[in-house]
Amino acid sequence: MGDDHRRPWQREGVLFFGDVIAGLSHELSNVFNIINEMAGLQQDILAGAQPKSADAADRLSELAGRIKAQVERGETLNQSLHSLAHSVDDANIAFDLGDTLELVSSLAARRARLARVELVVHRPESPVTLEGDPFVLLLTIYESIVAVVGAADSERRVEVSAAQHDSGAQVFITSADPLPPGVADEIAALEIGHLSWGAVHTLDPPFPEPPGRIILDVPAVAPALNAPADEEGQEDPDGN
Amino acid sequence: MDQLRLLFVDDEEELVSAVVERLELRGIDGVGATSGDEALHFLRESSFDVVVLDVKMPGIGGLEVLRTINRRHPEVKVILMTGHGSAKDNEIGRRLGAVAYLEKPVDLEDLLSTVDQALNPEGGGPDGR
Repeated sequence: MGDDHRRPWQREGVLFFGDVIAGLSHELSNVFNIINEMAGLQQDILAGAQPKSADAADRLSELAGRIKAQVERGETLNQSLHSLAHSVDDANIAFDLGDTLELVSSLAARRARLARVELVVHRPESPVTLEGDPFVLLLTIYESIVAVVGAADSERRVEVSAAQHDSGAQVFITSADPLPPGVADEIAALEIGHLSWGAVHTLDPPFPEPPGRIILDVPAVAPALNAPADEEGQEDPDGN
Repeated sequence: MDQLRLLFVDDEEELVSAVVERLELRGIDGVGATSGDEALHFLRESSFDVVVLDVKMPGIGGLEVLRTINRRHPEVKVILMTGHGSAKDNEIGRRLGAVAYLEKPVDLEDLLSTVDQALNPEGGGPDGR
Protein backbone atom coordinates (compact mmCIF):
# COMPACT_ATOMS: atom_id res chain seq x y z
CA MET A 1 0.00 0.00 0.00
CA GLY A 2 1.28 3.48 -0.75
CA ASP A 3 1.04 6.79 1.03
CA ASP A 4 -2.42 7.41 -0.40
CA HIS A 5 -3.67 4.57 1.77
CA ARG A 6 -1.76 5.65 4.84
CA ARG A 7 -2.59 9.30 4.71
CA PRO A 8 -5.42 10.05 2.33
CA TRP A 9 -5.61 13.56 3.72
CA GLN A 10 -2.12 14.31 2.37
CA ARG A 11 -3.13 13.36 -1.15
CA GLU A 12 -6.38 15.24 -0.70
CA GLY A 13 -4.45 18.30 0.42
CA VAL A 14 -2.15 18.19 -2.60
CA LEU A 15 -5.11 17.81 -4.96
CA PHE A 16 -6.80 20.76 -3.27
CA PHE A 17 -3.67 22.85 -3.62
CA GLY A 18 -3.34 21.95 -7.28
CA ASP A 19 -6.96 22.65 -8.00
CA VAL A 20 -7.13 26.09 -6.45
CA ILE A 21 -3.68 27.21 -7.59
CA ALA A 22 -4.49 26.23 -11.17
CA GLY A 23 -7.74 28.21 -10.94
CA LEU A 24 -6.13 31.29 -9.40
CA SER A 25 -3.28 31.13 -11.91
CA HIS A 26 -5.82 31.06 -14.74
CA GLU A 27 -7.64 34.04 -13.27
CA LEU A 28 -4.38 35.97 -12.93
CA SER A 29 -3.61 35.21 -16.57
CA ASN A 30 -6.99 36.63 -17.48
CA VAL A 31 -6.12 39.82 -15.61
CA PHE A 32 -2.80 40.12 -17.44
CA ASN A 33 -4.51 39.46 -20.78
CA ILE A 34 -7.03 42.21 -20.15
CA ILE A 35 -4.36 44.69 -19.07
CA ASN A 36 -2.32 43.75 -22.13
CA GLU A 37 -5.29 44.35 -24.40
CA MET A 38 -6.17 47.65 -22.75
CA ALA A 39 -2.60 48.84 -23.08
CA GLY A 40 -2.81 47.91 -26.74
CA LEU A 41 -6.02 49.86 -27.06
CA GLN A 42 -4.36 52.89 -25.48
CA GLN A 43 -1.57 52.64 -28.04
CA ASP A 44 -4.13 52.37 -30.81
CA ILE A 45 -5.94 55.46 -29.61
CA LEU A 46 -2.69 57.42 -29.30
CA ALA A 47 -1.71 56.32 -32.79
CA GLY A 48 -5.10 57.29 -34.16
CA ALA A 49 -6.03 60.18 -36.38
CA GLN A 50 -6.84 62.57 -33.58
CA PRO A 51 -4.67 61.55 -30.64
CA LYS A 52 -4.80 64.94 -28.99
CA SER A 53 -8.53 65.33 -29.18
CA ALA A 54 -10.66 65.66 -26.08
CA ASP A 55 -12.39 62.45 -27.08
CA ALA A 56 -9.08 60.57 -27.12
CA ALA A 57 -8.14 62.02 -23.73
CA ASP A 58 -11.47 60.92 -22.26
CA ARG A 59 -11.08 57.44 -23.64
CA LEU A 60 -7.53 57.15 -22.35
CA SER A 61 -8.64 58.31 -18.91
CA GLU A 62 -11.49 55.82 -18.88
CA LEU A 63 -9.12 53.05 -19.93
CA ALA A 64 -6.73 53.96 -17.13
CA GLY A 65 -9.58 53.44 -14.65
CA ARG A 66 -10.40 50.05 -16.17
CA ILE A 67 -6.74 49.01 -15.99
CA LYS A 68 -6.61 50.06 -12.34
CA ALA A 69 -9.67 47.89 -11.61
CA GLN A 70 -7.93 44.91 -13.19
CA VAL A 71 -4.79 45.53 -11.16
CA GLU A 72 -6.92 45.54 -8.00
CA ARG A 73 -8.54 42.29 -9.14
CA GLY A 74 -5.08 40.80 -9.66
CA GLU A 75 -3.93 41.96 -6.25
CA THR A 76 -6.96 40.31 -4.62
CA LEU A 77 -6.17 37.06 -6.42
CA ASN A 78 -2.56 37.31 -5.34
CA GLN A 79 -3.59 37.89 -1.73
CA SER A 80 -5.67 34.72 -1.89
CA LEU A 81 -2.67 32.80 -3.18
CA HIS A 82 -0.52 34.27 -0.43
CA SER A 83 -3.04 33.39 2.29
CA LEU A 84 -3.44 29.87 0.91
CA ALA A 85 0.33 29.38 0.90
CA HIS A 86 0.60 30.49 4.53
CA SER A 87 -2.36 28.37 5.66
CA VAL A 88 0.05 25.42 5.93
CA ASP A 89 2.60 27.25 8.09
CA ASP A 90 1.28 26.00 11.41
CA ALA A 91 -0.90 22.96 11.97
CA ASN A 92 -1.93 24.11 15.42
CA ILE A 93 -2.78 27.77 15.59
CA ALA A 94 -5.63 30.03 16.66
CA PHE A 95 -7.37 31.71 13.73
CA ASP A 96 -10.54 33.56 12.84
CA LEU A 97 -13.26 31.51 11.16
CA GLY A 98 -14.57 34.57 9.31
CA ASP A 99 -11.19 35.05 7.63
CA THR A 100 -11.21 31.37 6.66
CA LEU A 101 -14.67 31.67 5.14
CA GLU A 102 -13.64 34.69 3.08
CA LEU A 103 -10.50 32.96 1.87
CA VAL A 104 -12.24 29.72 0.96
CA SER A 105 -14.92 31.63 -0.90
CA SER A 106 -12.32 33.47 -2.93
CA LEU A 107 -10.63 30.14 -3.69
CA ALA A 108 -13.93 28.60 -4.78
CA ALA A 109 -15.04 31.65 -6.78
CA ARG A 110 -13.74 30.38 -10.10
CA ARG A 111 -15.36 26.96 -9.66
CA ALA A 112 -18.62 28.73 -8.89
CA ARG A 113 -18.28 31.11 -11.83
CA LEU A 114 -17.59 28.27 -14.27
CA ALA A 115 -20.65 26.49 -12.89
CA ARG A 116 -22.63 29.74 -13.21
CA VAL A 117 -23.39 29.74 -9.52
CA GLU A 118 -23.48 32.87 -7.40
CA LEU A 119 -21.39 32.21 -4.31
CA VAL A 120 -22.10 34.51 -1.34
CA VAL A 121 -20.20 34.48 1.94
CA HIS A 122 -21.42 35.94 5.24
CA ARG A 123 -18.94 36.44 8.07
CA PRO A 124 -20.17 35.36 11.53
CA GLU A 125 -21.95 38.17 13.38
CA SER A 126 -19.30 38.02 16.10
CA PRO A 127 -15.74 36.77 15.70
CA VAL A 128 -15.29 33.02 16.09
CA THR A 129 -11.81 31.84 17.03
CA LEU A 130 -10.83 28.23 16.39
CA GLU A 131 -7.62 26.42 17.19
CA GLY A 132 -6.16 23.69 15.02
CA ASP A 133 -5.01 23.24 11.45
CA PRO A 134 -6.47 26.07 9.34
CA PHE A 135 -5.44 24.42 6.09
CA VAL A 136 -7.41 21.27 6.78
CA LEU A 137 -10.51 23.22 7.75
CA LEU A 138 -10.09 25.34 4.63
CA LEU A 139 -9.93 22.20 2.51
CA THR A 140 -12.95 20.68 4.27
CA ILE A 141 -15.12 23.74 3.72
CA TYR A 142 -13.87 24.11 0.14
CA GLU A 143 -14.78 20.55 -0.79
CA SER A 144 -18.18 20.96 0.83
CA ILE A 145 -18.78 24.12 -1.21
CA VAL A 146 -17.63 22.42 -4.41
CA ALA A 147 -20.04 19.53 -3.78
CA VAL A 148 -22.97 21.89 -3.23
CA VAL A 149 -22.02 24.16 -6.15
CA GLY A 150 -21.84 21.10 -8.39
CA ALA A 151 -25.36 20.16 -7.37
CA ALA A 152 -26.88 23.59 -8.04
CA ASP A 153 -29.85 23.49 -10.36
CA SER A 154 -32.18 26.28 -11.47
CA GLU A 155 -31.60 28.86 -8.70
CA ARG A 156 -27.80 28.63 -8.86
CA ARG A 157 -27.04 30.44 -5.62
CA VAL A 158 -24.97 29.08 -2.74
CA GLU A 159 -24.44 30.89 0.56
CA VAL A 160 -21.73 30.20 3.11
CA SER A 161 -22.13 31.40 6.67
CA ALA A 162 -21.11 30.44 10.20
CA ALA A 163 -22.02 30.98 13.81
CA GLN A 164 -20.69 30.19 17.25
CA HIS A 165 -22.21 26.97 18.52
CA ASP A 166 -21.73 25.37 21.90
CA SER A 167 -17.99 25.11 22.38
CA GLY A 168 -17.20 25.47 18.69
CA ALA A 169 -18.83 26.66 15.54
CA GLN A 170 -21.22 25.63 12.82
CA VAL A 171 -20.53 26.37 9.17
CA PHE A 172 -23.59 26.43 6.91
CA ILE A 173 -23.40 25.83 3.17
CA THR A 174 -26.84 26.50 1.83
CA SER A 175 -28.10 25.97 -1.68
CA ALA A 176 -31.15 27.74 -3.04
CA ASP A 177 -31.77 24.51 -4.93
CA PRO A 178 -32.72 21.17 -3.40
CA LEU A 179 -29.64 19.05 -2.79
CA PRO A 180 -29.78 15.77 -4.70
CA PRO A 181 -28.97 12.50 -2.90
CA GLY A 182 -25.60 12.27 -4.70
CA VAL A 183 -24.30 15.12 -2.58
CA ALA A 184 -24.73 13.00 0.53
CA ASP A 185 -22.27 10.47 -0.87
CA GLU A 186 -19.78 13.18 -1.77
CA ILE A 187 -20.02 14.70 1.68
CA ALA A 188 -19.69 11.30 3.34
CA ALA A 189 -16.41 10.82 1.47
CA LEU A 190 -14.90 13.96 2.99
CA GLU A 191 -12.87 12.26 5.70
CA ILE A 192 -10.16 14.80 6.14
CA GLY A 193 -12.17 17.23 8.26
CA HIS A 194 -13.29 14.43 10.51
CA LEU A 195 -9.81 12.99 10.89
CA SER A 196 -8.16 16.27 11.72
CA TRP A 197 -10.88 18.33 13.29
CA GLY A 198 -13.44 15.87 14.50
CA ALA A 199 -15.69 17.89 12.23
CA VAL A 200 -19.04 16.36 11.39
CA HIS A 201 -21.14 17.02 8.31
CA THR A 202 -24.89 16.80 8.59
CA LEU A 203 -27.58 17.52 6.06
CA ASP A 204 -30.43 19.78 7.00
CA PRO A 205 -33.20 18.94 6.56
CA PRO A 206 -32.60 15.22 5.95
CA PHE A 207 -33.31 14.01 2.44
CA PRO A 208 -35.58 14.11 0.60
CA GLU A 209 -36.94 17.37 1.94
CA PRO A 210 -35.72 20.34 -0.11
CA PRO A 211 -34.12 22.80 -0.02
CA GLY A 212 -31.00 21.56 1.61
CA ARG A 213 -27.93 22.76 3.39
CA ILE A 214 -24.83 21.20 4.80
CA ILE A 215 -23.99 21.93 8.40
CA LEU A 216 -20.41 21.42 9.40
CA ASP A 217 -19.93 21.14 13.15
CA VAL A 218 -16.44 22.17 14.16
CA PRO A 219 -15.00 22.06 17.68
CA ALA A 220 -13.29 25.18 19.00
CA VAL A 221 -10.08 23.21 19.44
CA ALA A 222 -9.19 20.45 17.01
CA PRO A 223 -8.21 17.12 18.51
CA ALA A 224 -4.67 16.02 17.77
CA LEU A 225 -4.24 14.73 14.26
CA ASN A 226 -3.75 10.98 14.44
CA ALA A 227 -2.57 9.88 11.06
CA PRO A 228 -3.31 6.21 10.40
CA ALA A 229 0.34 5.54 9.54
CA ASP A 230 1.41 6.40 13.06
CA GLU A 231 -0.84 3.85 14.63
CA GLU A 232 0.57 0.57 15.85
CA GLY A 233 0.11 -2.28 13.44
CA GLN A 234 -0.30 -0.07 10.37
CA GLU A 235 1.25 -1.50 7.24
CA ASP A 236 4.68 -0.08 6.49
CA PRO A 237 4.81 1.18 2.89
CA ASP A 238 8.49 0.33 2.65
CA GLY A 239 7.83 -3.23 3.68
CA ASN A 240 10.07 -2.99 6.76
CA MET B 1 -15.09 45.08 -50.70
CA ASP B 2 -17.15 43.74 -47.82
CA GLN B 3 -16.14 44.67 -44.31
CA LEU B 4 -14.72 41.76 -42.33
CA ARG B 5 -17.17 40.59 -39.64
CA LEU B 6 -15.54 38.93 -36.66
CA LEU B 7 -17.23 37.49 -33.59
CA PHE B 8 -14.93 37.44 -30.55
CA VAL B 9 -16.08 35.15 -27.75
CA ASP B 10 -14.60 35.08 -24.25
CA ASP B 11 -16.19 35.08 -20.79
CA GLU B 12 -13.97 37.98 -19.69
CA GLU B 13 -16.15 40.97 -20.50
CA GLU B 14 -13.37 43.54 -20.26
CA LEU B 15 -11.18 41.53 -22.63
CA VAL B 16 -14.00 41.28 -25.16
CA SER B 17 -14.71 44.99 -24.87
CA ALA B 18 -11.07 45.99 -25.44
CA VAL B 19 -10.57 43.62 -28.38
CA VAL B 20 -13.77 44.76 -30.09
CA GLU B 21 -12.73 48.40 -29.71
CA ARG B 22 -9.34 47.62 -31.22
CA LEU B 23 -10.94 45.77 -34.12
CA GLU B 24 -13.21 48.71 -34.80
CA LEU B 25 -10.21 51.05 -34.86
CA ARG B 26 -8.85 48.83 -37.64
CA GLY B 27 -12.03 49.03 -39.68
CA ILE B 28 -13.18 45.53 -38.79
CA ASP B 29 -16.78 44.92 -37.81
CA GLY B 30 -16.11 43.26 -34.47
CA VAL B 31 -18.85 41.87 -32.29
CA GLY B 32 -18.26 40.56 -28.78
CA ALA B 33 -19.97 37.75 -26.91
CA THR B 34 -19.25 36.72 -23.31
CA SER B 35 -20.71 33.22 -23.38
CA GLY B 36 -21.29 30.32 -25.74
CA ASP B 37 -25.03 30.96 -25.54
CA GLU B 38 -24.60 34.56 -26.59
CA ALA B 39 -22.26 33.59 -29.41
CA LEU B 40 -24.77 31.12 -30.83
CA HIS B 41 -27.48 33.75 -30.52
CA PHE B 42 -25.43 36.24 -32.56
CA LEU B 43 -24.67 33.56 -35.14
CA ARG B 44 -28.38 32.88 -35.54
CA GLU B 45 -29.17 36.58 -35.89
CA SER B 46 -26.32 37.63 -38.16
CA SER B 47 -23.55 36.34 -40.35
CA PHE B 48 -19.83 36.36 -39.63
CA ASP B 49 -16.70 35.56 -41.55
CA VAL B 50 -14.71 34.42 -38.53
CA VAL B 51 -15.40 33.41 -34.94
CA VAL B 52 -12.58 33.64 -32.40
CA LEU B 53 -13.56 31.38 -29.56
CA ASP B 54 -12.25 30.80 -26.04
CA VAL B 55 -12.25 27.09 -25.23
CA LYS B 56 -12.99 27.29 -21.51
CA MET B 57 -16.11 29.23 -20.65
CA PRO B 58 -18.95 28.82 -18.15
CA GLY B 59 -21.97 27.05 -19.58
CA ILE B 60 -21.50 26.05 -23.18
CA GLY B 61 -17.76 25.73 -23.73
CA GLY B 62 -15.84 26.67 -26.86
CA LEU B 63 -15.63 23.14 -28.25
CA GLU B 64 -19.38 22.71 -27.95
CA VAL B 65 -19.93 26.03 -29.71
CA LEU B 66 -17.53 24.86 -32.42
CA ARG B 67 -19.57 21.68 -32.93
CA THR B 68 -22.75 23.73 -33.30
CA ILE B 69 -21.08 26.13 -35.73
CA ASN B 70 -19.97 23.16 -37.82
CA ARG B 71 -23.55 21.91 -38.02
CA ARG B 72 -25.36 25.17 -38.54
CA HIS B 73 -22.80 27.55 -40.03
CA PRO B 74 -20.19 25.42 -41.78
CA GLU B 75 -19.04 28.38 -43.87
CA VAL B 76 -17.76 30.24 -40.79
CA LYS B 77 -14.06 29.96 -39.97
CA VAL B 78 -13.33 29.27 -36.32
CA ILE B 79 -10.15 30.12 -34.43
CA LEU B 80 -9.84 28.66 -30.94
CA MET B 81 -7.89 30.21 -28.10
CA THR B 82 -7.06 29.05 -24.62
CA GLY B 83 -5.40 30.38 -21.50
CA HIS B 84 -3.03 27.50 -21.02
CA GLY B 85 -1.75 25.17 -23.67
CA SER B 86 -3.68 21.94 -23.93
CA ALA B 87 -2.60 19.49 -26.58
CA LYS B 88 -5.86 17.61 -26.12
CA ASP B 89 -8.03 20.68 -26.75
CA ASN B 90 -5.87 21.58 -29.72
CA GLU B 91 -6.26 18.11 -31.19
CA ILE B 92 -10.01 18.02 -30.60
CA GLY B 93 -10.41 21.51 -32.00
CA ARG B 94 -8.49 20.66 -35.16
CA ARG B 95 -10.50 17.48 -35.58
CA LEU B 96 -13.69 19.50 -35.23
CA GLY B 97 -12.57 21.82 -37.97
CA ALA B 98 -11.02 24.82 -36.21
CA VAL B 99 -8.67 26.54 -38.64
CA ALA B 100 -6.22 27.62 -35.94
CA TYR B 101 -5.51 27.37 -32.26
CA LEU B 102 -3.95 30.29 -30.39
CA GLU B 103 -2.64 30.51 -26.85
CA LYS B 104 -3.40 33.54 -24.72
CA PRO B 105 -2.21 36.20 -24.45
CA VAL B 106 -3.10 36.58 -28.10
CA ASP B 107 -1.37 39.48 -29.80
CA LEU B 108 -3.96 41.28 -31.90
CA GLU B 109 -1.68 41.55 -34.91
CA ASP B 110 -1.00 37.81 -34.72
CA LEU B 111 -4.71 37.17 -34.44
CA LEU B 112 -5.43 39.29 -37.51
CA SER B 113 -2.66 37.54 -39.40
CA THR B 114 -4.25 34.20 -38.49
CA VAL B 115 -7.64 35.48 -39.60
CA ASP B 116 -6.10 36.60 -42.88
CA GLN B 117 -4.59 33.15 -43.43
CA ALA B 118 -7.88 31.47 -42.53
CA LEU B 119 -9.82 33.52 -45.05
CA ASN B 120 -7.15 33.50 -47.72
CA PRO B 121 -5.24 30.23 -47.40
CA GLU B 122 -3.67 30.77 -50.83
CA GLY B 123 -2.58 34.28 -49.91
CA GLY B 124 -4.70 37.37 -50.15
CA GLY B 125 -5.11 41.00 -49.30
CA PRO B 126 -3.63 42.62 -46.22
CA ASP B 127 -7.03 43.38 -44.73
CA GLY B 128 -7.92 39.79 -44.15
CA ARG B 129 -10.30 39.59 -47.09
